[in-house]
Amino acid sequence: MYSSVFKDEGKLDINYIPPSLPHRERQLKLLNHFFRFAIERPGKMAQRVLITGKIGTGKTVISQSFGLNIVKEAQEKGINLQYVHVNCRECKGSLFQILQRAILKFYPRFPRRGFSAEELLQMLMQVLDARNAYLILAVDELEELIRSAGSDPVYSLTRVQESRPEAPQRLSLICILREPEHLNTLDPSTRSTLQRNIIHLEEYSTLQLRDILNDRIALAFRNGAVSEQTLNFVAESASSEGGDARYAIELLWRAGKYADASESLAVLPEHVRKAAVSIYPIVRRDAISSLSLHEKLFLLGVARSFKQTGSAYISMGEAEDAYAVVCEEHDEKRRGHTQLWKYITNLSALGIIKTEISGAGRRGKTTLISLPKITANDLEQELSNALYKKKR
Amino acid sequence: MKECFMAIEDVLSSKGRVKILRILAEIGELNISDIARRAGLNYATTNQHLQALENAGLVQHKKFGRIRIFRFNEENVRARTVKKLIDFWNANK
Repeated sequence: MYSSVFKDEGKLDINYIPPSLPHRERQLKLLNHFFRFAIERPGKMAQRVLITGKIGTGKTVISQSFGLNIVKEAQEKGINLQYVHVNCRECKGSLFQILQRAILKFYPRFPRRGFSAEELLQMLMQVLDARNAYLILAVDELEELIRSAGSDPVYSLTRVQESRPEAPQRLSLICILREPEHLNTLDPSTRSTLQRNIIHLEEYSTLQLRDILNDRIALAFRNGAVSEQTLNFVAESASSEGGDARYAIELLWRAGKYADASESLAVLPEHVRKAAVSIYPIVRRDAISSLSLHEKLFLLGVARSFKQTGSAYISMGEAEDAYAVVCEEHDEKRRGHTQLWKYITNLSALGIIKTEISGAGRRGKTTLISLPKITANDLEQELSNALYKKKR
Repeated sequence: MKECFMAIEDVLSSKGRVKILRILAEIGELNISDIARRAGLNYATTNQHLQALENAGLVQHKKFGRIRIFRFNEENVRARTVKKLIDFWNANK
């Protein structure tokens, strides 16, 4: 009987935090150094650290790994220090949602609406006081927050301690963003507070990617399932994609899936090639998993509609009809036209779909949707997986 | 706030109060609207019951801005006993 090449494919999940981070030891040490005070003199100061680097350079994982360790260390010393990691894209660039996630860590049943973001920030400080807790809030994809709300939310977050000079300093920040240029849109004072401690992550080289993949292969694959040659091939492919470790790991996972599908005992370069063709740099698993439930349902409707019609474009009306069917299938109440329109804007900003206004040759005016970068089949597959995962 | 003694029949004779105590025993910490929704009571009644229970030292609250979050007053022996009773009751359905 055929047995999978994987031993534990969960170790290749984008949310998995490995026990060691090859070639990021120095940066992790620096991060620990910046936050030493949180263990040695909690409440005496608050820290703001900026982590920058391109996609797949380890920004998120370095922060999460640091968070896990420092919380453990604080616990051993009897300090109530918590680490909360929020992704601004998942929060739709809303300070309210970011703060809400932080408060829910302490009070899981805290009322979810009825206040402004400013009010919620003050509440967060009161909650921290009430629990005698300290919080390191990691704000991932900060550019999304800046883009949607300008510099005010960042200003509030960085300056909240100043309104309570006598009280212990409880809120520290780790801001994560791809391009430091986004900070230029902030006002000078906020920018200067943020830019004091910067950790910049360079792209990984082929050799570094090799080490990372090697670690993951040992965790995720059966012994001998991935040859040296395959490993080098994956590392080189990812290196040419801009030293993106996330891409490398996803490529490896997909190649493993192709190996399983063909009942091969090992992952071969041919599987990697197939996997490389199936990964679209813009439509990645993480882009899809960050969508809201109804965005996924809508996109699933769009994908199915393309599959059925086989045409290059579908109209907004056709997309809505297909979405209605998907909603019925998933037992969800369908959203209205205006909401769907917002989804379309977002999906097209993410590059998953493309939209244009219908011109001559069609009666009336409608939005035409096309899928420039992914086949309808693949998109449907991805969405079905993501929706299935959520249901489980 | 000074606690006032509340006779046991006054606490347990009100279905609303018992419901509120049960909800707090089961869930831990909640704000008034959520307690009211779960107990099927209106806001004002829930608020009155909570005040009575707080005066009797059975529950306590913390205030965050406009939000008050209630829970059992773990420092009060009677509160702990009532909570134990409810836990036992629920565990032996």
